[in-house]
Amino acid sequence: MSSLKRKTSEEEDNGRQVIQRSDDTVACVHDVSYPDGYVIPVPNQQQQQQQQQPAKTFPFSLDPFQSQAISCLEKGESVMVSAHTSAGKTVVASYAIAMSIRNAQRVIYTSPIKALSNQKYRDFKEQFSDVGLMTGDVTIDPNASCLVMTTEIWRSMQYNASPVTREVAWIIFDEVHYMRDRERGVVWEESIVMSPKNSRFVFLSATVPNAKEFADWVAKVHQQPCHIVYTDYRPTPLQHYLFPSGGDGLYLVVDEKGKFREDSFQKALNSLVPAGEGDRKRESAKWQKGLMLGRGGEETDIFKMVKMIIQRQYDPVILFSFSKRECEFLAMQMAKMDLNGDEEKDNIEKIFWSAMDMLSDDDKKLPQASYVSNMLPLLKRGIGVHHSGLLPILKEVIEILFQEGLIKCLFATETFSIGLNMPAKTVVFTNVRKFDGDKFRWISGGEYIQMSGRAGRRGIDERGICILMVDEKMEPSTAKMMVKGAADSLNSAFHLTYNMILNQMRSEDGNPENLLRNSFYQFQADRAIPDLEKQIKTLEKERESIVIEEEDSLKDYHDLLEQHRSLNKEVHDIVMSPMHSLIYLQPGRLVSLQCTSSDVDVPTIFTEDQLTWGLVISFEKVKSVSEDDASIKPEDAKYNVDVLTRCVVRKDKLGKKSVKIVPLKDVGEPRVVTVPLLQINTISSLRVYIPKDLLPLEARENTLKKVLQTLSRSNEKGGVPLLDPEEDMKIKSSVYKKASRRIEALESLFERHEIAKSPLIKQKLKALQMKQELTAKIKSIKRTLKTSTALAFKDELKARKRVLRRLGYATSDNVVELKGKVACEISSADELTLTELMFNGVFKDIKVEELISLLSCFVWQEKIHDAAKPREELDLLFVQLQDTARRVAQLQLECKFYNAITSSFFLDHEKQVQIDVESFVKSFRPDIMEAVYAWAKGSKFYEIMEITQVFEGSLIRAIRRLEEVLQQLILAAKSIGETQLEAKFEEAVSKIKRDIVFAASLYL
Amino acid sequence: MRGIDLAALSKTQKLRLEKALEELESLSSKVNSDASVTIADSIAVNHEDAILKGHGTADLNGEVVATLCGIVERVNKLIYVRGLRSRYKPEVGDIVIGRVVEVVQKRWKVEINYSQDAILMLSSMNMPDGVQRRRTAMDELNMRSIFEEKDVVCAEVRGFQHDGLHLQARSQKYGKLKGGQLLTVPPYLVKRQKQHFHHLEEYGFDLILGCNGFIWVGEHIEAKDDMVEDQVNQSEPQVLLPNKNATNLEEQEKNYTELETRKYICRAANAVRVLSTLGFNITLEIIKGIIELSLSLNLDIHEMLSSEFCVVVAEKEAERRKSNKRRR
Repeated sequence: MSSLKRKTSEEEDNGRQVIQRSDDTVACVHDVSYPDGYVIPVPNQQQQQQQQQPAKTFPFSLDPFQSQAISCLEKGESVMVSAHTSAGKTVVASYAIAMSIRNAQRVIYTSPIKALSNQKYRDFKEQFSDVGLMTGDVTIDPNASCLVMTTEIWRSMQYNASPVTREVAWIIFDEVHYMRDRERGVVWEESIVMSPKNSRFVFLSATVPNAKEFADWVAKVHQQPCHIVYTDYRPTPLQHYLFPSGGDGLYLVVDEKGKFREDSFQKALNSLVPAGEGDRKRESAKWQKGLMLGRGGEETDIFKMVKMIIQRQYDPVILFSFSKRECEFLAMQMAKMDLNGDEEKDNIEKIFWSAMDMLSDDDKKLPQASYVSNMLPLLKRGIGVHHSGLLPILKEVIEILFQEGLIKCLFATETFSIGLNMPAKTVVFTNVRKFDGDKFRWISGGEYIQMSGRAGRRGIDERGICILMVDEKMEPSTAKMMVKGAADSLNSAFHLTYNMILNQMRSEDGNPENLLRNSFYQFQADRAIPDLEKQIKTLEKERESIVIEEEDSLKDYHDLLEQHRSLNKEVHDIVMSPMHSLIYLQPGRLVSLQCTSSDVDVPTIFTEDQLTWGLVISFEKVKSVSEDDASIKPEDAKYNVDVLTRCVVRKDKLGKKSVKIVPLKDVGEPRVVTVPLLQINTISSLRVYIPKDLLPLEARENTLKKVLQTLSRSNEKGGVPLLDPEEDMKIKSSVYKKASRRIEALESLFERHEIAKSPLIKQKLKALQMKQELTAKIKSIKRTLKTSTALAFKDELKARKRVLRRLGYATSDNVVELKGKVACEISSADELTLTELMFNGVFKDIKVEELISLLSCFVWQEKIHDAAKPREELDLLFVQLQDTARRVAQLQLECKFYNAITSSFFLDHEKQVQIDVESFVKSFRPDIMEAVYAWAKGSKFYEIMEITQVFEGSLIRAIRRLEEVLQQLILAAKSIGETQLEAKFEEAVSKIKRDIVFAASLYL
Repeated sequence: MRGIDLAALSKTQKLRLEKALEELESLSSKVNSDASVTIADSIAVNHEDAILKGHGTADLNGEVVATLCGIVERVNKLIYVRGLRSRYKPEVGDIVIGRVVEVVQKRWKVEINYSQDAILMLSSMNMPDGVQRRRTAMDELNMRSIFEEKDVVCAEVRGFQHDGLHLQARSQKYGKLKGGQLLTVPPYLVKRQKQHFHHLEEYGFDLILGCNGFIWVGEHIEAKDDMVEDQVNQSEPQVLLPNKNATNLEEQEKNYTELETRKYICRAANAVRVLSTLGFNITLEIIKGIIELSLSLNLDIHEMLSSEFCVVVAEKEAERRKSNKRRR
């Protein structure tokens, strides 16, 4: 009903959209997950009447998915809303807040990022006024009805059993798809599992295909129904274009109806790749340079792109790239461009300086280095940069300018794609690959969707435009996956931490096993079980359906064949080893070769290898790249042999040539191919004269004809004479003799085997082989089944508990000891190493500044390559830290090692459990020790920025996190009654908490 | 040995008891025997190392001195003194039992054998109707319908806040205790364990070992599953009705505890008393053992407090620990 209404209203105000809408009739999908054994309550008439009055009305008509979700809220049931960023999920959140405030209940709103929390706080504060904010940095009005916080804060509130947990009726998890984040995702799972039993949830998520699975999990864990409202709907449809590097046109690959245009995609790729194949690599390197520098004074691609966008009036535009440095670099290339009028320039300057007024005079000097001189002129021309390395305040100014439409062209990193509604008309991907920690990979469909979600401003643009700059030859399927790909599914990234285990152990009800059992990870594992069981059943049925007569004796025969085969191979390998065979491989030697089998998958046991003949032309050693050539003896090296034989050459679509060796009598061209020595089957004693010049086709054809003649002649005489291994080749190794004797014995066994004479032997063997393959498959599925029925992480939990016991954090009865209580408090840094340092008295003697500097190693993760070593006294401390870390890691390794022995079953888990001591030690980085030391000493921020080359924003984030760790350490020191240390930590906080680093957000 | 009226013992009983206690002493580990200190004793430390001074220690003229009578404990570089027989010292996460002494603004004050009264906030209690909501002024007025003065309550230590020690009731199993006995023993006899709530099914009563030395033995109460019922009254927060004069006959009938159960409750209570007199650690296993012992000896409930039984328990305990040790 409501969806109909929506459509008519659309028709009125926008004739164009009707056509598009008519083909996606379902604007949203609604589904409910009920827990097992749940009885749907009969709606109470009276109650329903009470609820007629909506808690909040909106000045615009709601989209179907919004009104659907809101009706679920009114019923008092949890809901998961999965929709694109631009679709307007926030409406659901604000309704939930309004409803809670109406019912005098508390509501909590959590988001993954502090900056986002700040922005939402401002938003909600304007709407509801009774709103508070709690992030690691700032706390405002913690008694308000609606609390905006980061998910981490909510988790620790639950562990501390804050009274809020008893008052909260609704919990809103924004961007809940963050749950798949490798590092932080587990926080969401903990928070959801531990949430009060009677509270209700609102989950807002990007489009995820398995929203239903997620809702099922919530329903099961919290024993309450959970609705799913899913929509693919975009208020403004998107067009996707390709921009091939070096080219100068856009190619529409996906139109606004979502149709993939193969032809124009091909055209785009063709214009990208020059004819030659060999210089592909050089080409892409050149492209990288082209992007950065421009080819010999030409305009760079990025410049051309922006120019084109401005000409076509596709601005404002966001250009995504995947590194901070690249972002800035690209922006600098726009220096020549001016996109703003004078009035806009004045506005920008006004906004910029009024924001900067917040800073102290000294701090104002700071941006001088790179920003006020560089950034402001750039901003004034309508060009901005946005990434996490910027000063937070500058980042916010740029966000505000962008929202005001004063920035026409924004270079941003991926972080810009989440959070507050900041759309542009056009989105450009300057790269199609990103570095994900280990390697460069294509961006996934989900990431693409998330970022392209920024394209198209609702109510302003008719459609959003997405441009993909491609630099490499992409398979059409890869590109399709990217631009038309499905959203990434929401998978658990659950993992254990010591802090989590200790906190669970500390409370009477808590139990880490329980948390594991209720985790989404376990839920997903359990869910796979029925599927696996079904697979086993069908496979078993299939296996039973294969009936073979006299199976036992056939099996016997099969085994013999197998043995025979492997022995033959052994002999062949000996004979063909370079030591024995090389001297016979003179040019013109007639050798038999294995043909390239047409189908690799055909089981080869009973098929005779197809043999053909060829002439040896020459041979050469295979050059190994890494090893020194001189060190390898000629016998051990690998050899390739060039052989003249008949081949079929094919070219596949991409122009890759494949050469197939075929029997001499077949159709094909005579050709010299290179084969590895072992592919030669036997060496004959014959040699054929080869002409000196083999280049003309005729010469080769003639030679092969001669070969054929020779062969047929010798066939008449009773087979081609072969080199006898013992007599001619003088092979005398005992291994060879043994093997050849056994082959003889086996061959005599074949004779006696009855079944060998059966006429259908081949088919029978084939059937048997299939049966054996099925058995192996069933076995492997059963193994995975066993691992998933067991409690996931059970072994790791055991191992971790063992570590805690060995270090004296907990007793064998799972009672948390003094040290454990300290570690409980520390959640923002490595809890074990920090606790050990504390108990070893390291913090006691050192000065406050040194203490702060030492702690900085716990919060800094970025790698800096040419970072200067810290001064001696700091380095000494760092060595102490490394020693402690090494001890902790060593102990973990030992504890888990036992584990590996006792349970050899869980092969995958072992791998997870193993930790690499050195890489653990190296995860503590001393790179910013000097800078933080200087900051603690009272230096100005611009002074410390001169010491290091890190991004301002990164350093500020590190110091803020350092303060968080200090706060936790204060609590820890309090709990062991060490008042001096507590005072020291307090002093440390007061030393670092000042000026620009802790400047309040502009949104507050 | 303390507190036992030695005069009441006959000569043979005295001898037997002494023998049992001696045996027990010989079984106990000797690790910390030389680490006991009294107030103002200086604690030997290696001053070259950085040391952390924890609870029960103070710095006096460069020396570390004890401010408590007790045992010196060392964890890495941390030194602290564990008090021998002091009042209860709360730690976060402890299960405690206490008596409500005062109902004040938004909170109850609870006596828990600590140097100050603990605070149980109204907001730290689950509402009886199970609804998650902010507490209203109405709720505040009706606080006595949840706990009154002199009620016995069970709660968990939440932590120290600026205004004192806070308690909380995480779930439905915390809260008012009725239909049983409260026993007070020295807090050091109760060791921190994973489980402090016990349900002895064979006897039909609950046993709660509060870390503060308050022990509750009472009729078993099935933990309510509050999930189903609150579905109905979800959206209409109930106003709590004061049920002060609800002690009518019907109510009494409902609260009636079977004689059999009551007898067992008394047995368990007496078992705790015996252990407390003997100064033995109080755990579920030992209490169970004593109840079984008294049953097998066919003793009446009151006879469990006789000096003879006390001696028998001591002997049995010595025997048990000896066999435990041998087994190990």
